[in-house]
Amino acid sequence: MTQEKIIETLLDFIVADDERAIVGSTTSNEVFNEIALELYRYQFSFNDPFRHFSSQRGRTPRTVKSWQDIPLVPINAFKKLCLSCCRPDDAPYLFTTSGTTETGVKGKSYHSSLDVYDASMTRGFKEFFIADRDSIEMSVLYPSEEVMPNSSLAHYFSLAIKNFGTPQSAYVMNHEGIDFEALFERLNEAEVNKEPHALLGASYSYIPLLEEMRAREISFSLPAGSRLFDTGGFKTKSNAPTLDDFYTDISRAFGVPRDMCINMYGMTELSTQFYDQGNVVCPSVKFGPHWIKTRVVNPVTGRELPQGERGVLAHCDLAHFNIVTSILTEDAGIATADGFKLLGRADGNDARGCSMAVEEFLNAAQT
Amino acid sequence: MNFEGKVVLVTGSGRGIGAAIARAFAAEGASVAINYLKNSEAADEVVTACCTEVGDALAFKADVTVGEAVDDLVSNVLENFGKIDVLVNNAFKPYTFDQENRKMFWELDWSDYQAQIDGALMSAHGVCKAVLPGMRRRSNGAIINVATDLVARPSIPYHEYTTAKSALIGFSRNLAVELGPLGIRVNCVAPGLVYPTEGTVNTKEMIKDTISMQTPLGRIARPEDVAGPVLFLASSWSEFMTGQTLYVDGGLVMN
Amino acid sequence: MIERGGYLPGLSVDEVEWQALYFDGVGSKFEIQVPLLSEDQVRTLTTSVRNAARTKLKAMPVAQIIEIIDCAINRLLDRNDPYRKKCEEILPLVTGYDAEMIRLGLTGYLKTFRKPELQKFLVEDFANPTILDDFQPVPKGGYARAYGPDLLTHIWSGNVPGLPIWSMISGLLVKAGNIGKVPSAEPLFAGWFAEAIAAVAPEISDCFAVVWWKGGNTRLESILLEGSEAVLAYGGNDALKSMRDRTPITTRFLAYGHKVGFGMISKDALDIQKGKLNAHKAAYDVMRYDQHGCYSPHVFFVERGGKVSPREFAEYLAHELDVFESKYPRRSLSDGDLNNIAAWRNEEEIKSFDDPAGGLIGSAGKSWSVAFVDHTERLSPSSLNRTIKVVAVDALAEVVPLIAPYKTTLQTVGISASPDQLFNLSNSLALSGVTRVSALGCMTKPEAGWHHDGRFNLLDLVTLTEIEQSAIDGADTLATFVD
Repeated sequence: MTQEKIIETLLDFIVADDERAIVGSTTSNEVFNEIALELYRYQFSFNDPFRHFSSQRGRTPRTVKSWQDIPLVPINAFKKLCLSCCRPDDAPYLFTTSGTTETGVKGKSYHSSLDVYDASMTRGFKEFFIADRDSIEMSVLYPSEEVMPNSSLAHYFSLAIKNFGTPQSAYVMNHEGIDFEALFERLNEAEVNKEPHALLGASYSYIPLLEEMRAREISFSLPAGSRLFDTGGFKTKSNAPTLDDFYTDISRAFGVPRDMCINMYGMTELSTQFYDQGNVVCPSVKFGPHWIKTRVVNPVTGRELPQGERGVLAHCDLAHFNIVTSILTEDAGIATADGFKLLGRADGNDARGCSMAVEEFLNAAQT
Repeated sequence: MNFEGKVVLVTGSGRGIGAAIARAFAAEGASVAINYLKNSEAADEVVTACCTEVGDALAFKADVTVGEAVDDLVSNVLENFGKIDVLVNNAFKPYTFDQENRKMFWELDWSDYQAQIDGALMSAHGVCKAVLPGMRRRSNGAIINVATDLVARPSIPYHEYTTAKSALIGFSRNLAVELGPLGIRVNCVAPGLVYPTEGTVNTKEMIKDTISMQTPLGRIARPEDVAGPVLFLASSWSEFMTGQTLYVDGGLVMN
Repeated sequence: MIERGGYLPGLSVDEVEWQALYFDGVGSKFEIQVPLLSEDQVRTLTTSVRNAARTKLKAMPVAQIIEIIDCAINRLLDRNDPYRKKCEEILPLVTGYDAEMIRLGLTGYLKTFRKPELQKFLVEDFANPTILDDFQPVPKGGYARAYGPDLLTHIWSGNVPGLPIWSMISGLLVKAGNIGKVPSAEPLFAGWFAEAIAAVAPEISDCFAVVWWKGGNTRLESILLEGSEAVLAYGGNDALKSMRDRTPITTRFLAYGHKVGFGMISKDALDIQKGKLNAHKAAYDVMRYDQHGCYSPHVFFVERGGKVSPREFAEYLAHELDVFESKYPRRSLSDGDLNNIAAWRNEEEIKSFDDPAGGLIGSAGKSWSVAFVDHTERLSPSSLNRTIKVVAVDALAEVVPLIAPYKTTLQTVGISASPDQLFNLSNSLALSGVTRVSALGCMTKPEAGWHHDGRFNLLDLVTLTEIEQSAIDGADTLATFVD
C-alpha cells in the first residue's frame, strides 16, 4: 500500500459514522484489524529498525495474524531508534518528548503528514471534550505551536483553538510562564458575560496557577457549561497532589464541577488521545475512539491480562501510521469493561534488599 | 499439544512421512516450513493441507545435502517465520526397500554407503548447524532426527541405509550431550516399515503381512503414526528427554 | 495464631498498639502484627535496655556470651525447634523467596555463628579477646580494656532473611545494649532471634529489643538515634544521610549503604569443563536471594580467548538459570519489579541493534534474563530478580576502569582466575573500592568473621580505656606492700 492510500483509508475510517465507527462492534473490530495488519506490513517493509525489532521477536508479516500479534515497541525505543517509514529528513513534522528523564535523550515521532493526526485529534476532542457544543471560548495554559514547534501537545492545542475555539480564544502562557493578569481578566469576563469557558493546560500548569490564586485570595465561579482540561498528570511523586485533591482544588478554584474536569491521556508516541468523562471518582476510566485499542499486559511477556488485573498499558493506534502502531508504555493500568484506568507510572522498587537501585548507583558515580 | 506461535522446519516433507509430520504440526497450530527437493506440486499440496484456521505453511525448495543450499533454506525460513523452534531432520537419499532384490554386501561399493550417509547424516549435520545460532540465542529448541527401527533389528540388511541411520542415532546422542547445557534437546524417532511411502510403494503384500504378523499391534506403520512421537518430542511434554530414540513400529522392536 | 514482629522486654502485648502488615503468600494473604510504639515507649525502651546492658551484659565474660549465642543458634539450626519451624514456614511467605532456598540459605548462614566461628569472629578483631572482660597488657606498655556502647542502635533494611543478626551478634559480643529496628519487608527474624537468646539466657533478656516503625518515621527514629552511643545503619544513601543528620555528633554512626557486586572469569577458567562449571556457579550466585544481597552479582566480565567464549559462557549461564528455576523458583514479582525487568530487557534488546553479536539470550517468558554485550561496557546494576549481564573483555585488567567511577558502591567480586592473576587483580580492585573477593559460587556466602564493607565488625564498636604505664608505676608507689 502506498502512503497516499494509507492516509485515505485512515481518514475514511476515522471520520466514519457507520458500523465501522462503533467501538467494539464486529465490523469496527474487523476493519480495525485489517488496517492494523496492513500498517504492520507497511512498517515492516519501510521501517528498517522496526523490521529488525520485529524479526528479533520472531514476528514477521507471515506470523502476525491479528493486531494483537504486532510486537509492542517499548517507548524507550523512540529515543534510540529512528522509527519512521519515510526518511527522517523527508518528514516535515517531528514531535519529540520533553527529554527530561534520564540522559536527556528525546523520544522522536516523525510524521510524514499531519492529516491523520489532525483528523484523529479533531474527532476525539470533539467527541470527548467539546461534546454537545460546536465551539467554546478557550484559554490555553500552554505555549503556542510557534514557541514549541516540536511539541505534539502544542500542536494539539493549536488544533483545539482552530477547530473549536471561539475567536476570543487565546493562549495565556508565554516564555515567562502564565500571564496571570490576562487569564484572570478573561475568567472574570466569562463570569460577567455568563459565557461558558474552557481552561486547558498541562496538569502541572495548574499548580502555580492555584498557588497564585491562593496568594491573591481569589477564585472563580465559571458559568454552567464551562470545563477544565488537564493532561500529563504528575510524574514526580514527591510533593505532587493526589488526583483526588487536585480535582477538588481546581473544581473549587474555578467553580467547575468535577464531572466537567476532563483529563486527556496522550503521548508523543501516539497520534490519538484518550479522555475520561470527568473526575468525580479518581482514577477515572479512560476511553479512546475506535481507531485506537488498548490492552493491559504483563510488561515482560507482553501477554494480555484479564480485566481488573493490574499491568502495563499497551496501545495500538492506527493513526500513528508513519512510526509504529503498537507500543508498550511505562504506565500502569487496569482494564475495565469499556476502557481502562490509568494508575500512574509503573516503576517501583518494592523490595530491593541491600542491592543498589540504578538511580542511586548513577548518583554515586565519581566521573 | 499446542504449537501455536511455534515454527517447525521439516526437511523432506514434500511427501511421505515428512508430509504427515508437517500436517500434524500445522494441525496443532504451528507454522511449518515444508522443505522439498524436486516435486513442487506435491509440496504445494502439503502446504495447502497445512494452511488451516490454526496452521500455516510455506514450501522451501532446497537440497539439504548442499551446504550453501542449507544456509539459504534456513535464512529463507527465518525471513518468513522469524525463528525456528523445532527442526525435524527427515530427509534422506531416495532408497527402495526391496527385500527380494536388495543389493548384497558384496555388491555394494563404498559410494553406495557414502550416498546414504550424505543423505541422512550430512544433511542433518548441515541443517543442525544452520539452525543452531537462533536456538542458542533463545536458549531453547528441539531437534528430532528420523531414523529407522532397522537400526535395532536389521531383519533385512539394507546395509547402506541402516548404517547411515545408525550413524544418525550416534550423531544425535552426541549432539544431545553438547546441546543439553544450552537448553536444546535432540532426540530420534525410529519408525518400522511405513506404508505407503515412495520407498515402500512397491513392497510386496506378503512382506507387509509377515511384518504385521510379527508386530504386537498387528499392522505396519502409516506415515501419520510417526507424527505423534515426533510432536511429543518437540513439545514441552518431553522437556526432560534428550538423546533418546523412540521406536514407532507397533512393538516390533522393544528396547 | 497471629504472628507478631518485634521483641519488647518490659512491655506486655496489651500495653502496645499493633498494626497489621500484609504479605502476598501463595494463594493467600499473610498477616503479621507489628508494634506501633509511642514516643514514650521508645524512650522507656532505650533507658531500660541501656541500664540492663550496663549492669548485666557488661559483667558477663565474653566466653559466656558466646555460649549463649551458640545455644540460640543451635536452636535455629535444629529443624525440629519451634523457632526454626517458624522460619521455614513463614519467611517464604513474607519475603516471597523460595522455601528451599531459604531453608538451605539459613542453615549455611546460621552455622557461621556457632561457637568456633564466633571465636574466629573475635580474634579477627581482637588479638586477645579477653580485652573485652578485663584490662589486658598491651604491647606499647600499660593495660587496656575494650568497652562496647551502652546502647547500640541497629537500623536494618532489605528482605534477605537473617541479615540483621550479623550486627546484633556483633553488638552482643561487645556487651552492648541493642535496639534494632526491623524493615517492613522482613519484620520477623530479628525478633525471633532475640526471643531465642532470651529463652537460652533469661538473665539478659532485657538487654536488647527489636522494634518496628514505618520507614520514614523520623520522630521515633530520632529518639532512638539520640539515645544511642553508636548506630549501625543499613539502607540507601538518602535514608542513611537523613539518619546521620539526626544523629548527635557524639554518637558513632556506622553506615552500610547499598552495594553492587560483580564477577570476573579469566580465560584460564574457560576450558570446556571449567567453563560450564563456572557458569553453574555464576548462576548460583545470581539465583541466591534473587540478587537482593549487597554481595549479589549484577554483571559478569568474561575474558576472551578461552575455549569457551564469553558468548558461550552467557549461553551456558542462561541454561543454568533455567535449571535453577525448577529447583529454586524465583520469588513472585510485583508490577514494579516486572516493569523494572521489562525496562532492562528492552534497553538491552535495543542496544544490541548496534552490537549484532550481543543481545538478550532466552525468551521473555522465562524467570531469568541474560544479556550478552560484546564490547567493553561499564558496570551497571541489573534490574534484580535474576537479570544478569555478561560483558566480554579482552583482558580482565580492562575491567578496572569500567568499575572505577563507582568506588563507593562496590563490595564483593567473585573471581575465577589463576593465583597470580587473582592477587594482581585484587590489588587493582581494592584500589577501586572492592572490599571482598570470593570464588564464584560463594559470592552470597561470606565466611565467618568477614569484614563487612571492609570494616571491623567489633573493633568499630568499642572504645578502649587505657591505663598507661605511668599510672601503674605511680600506683605501685602507693601499694601497701611498699617497703
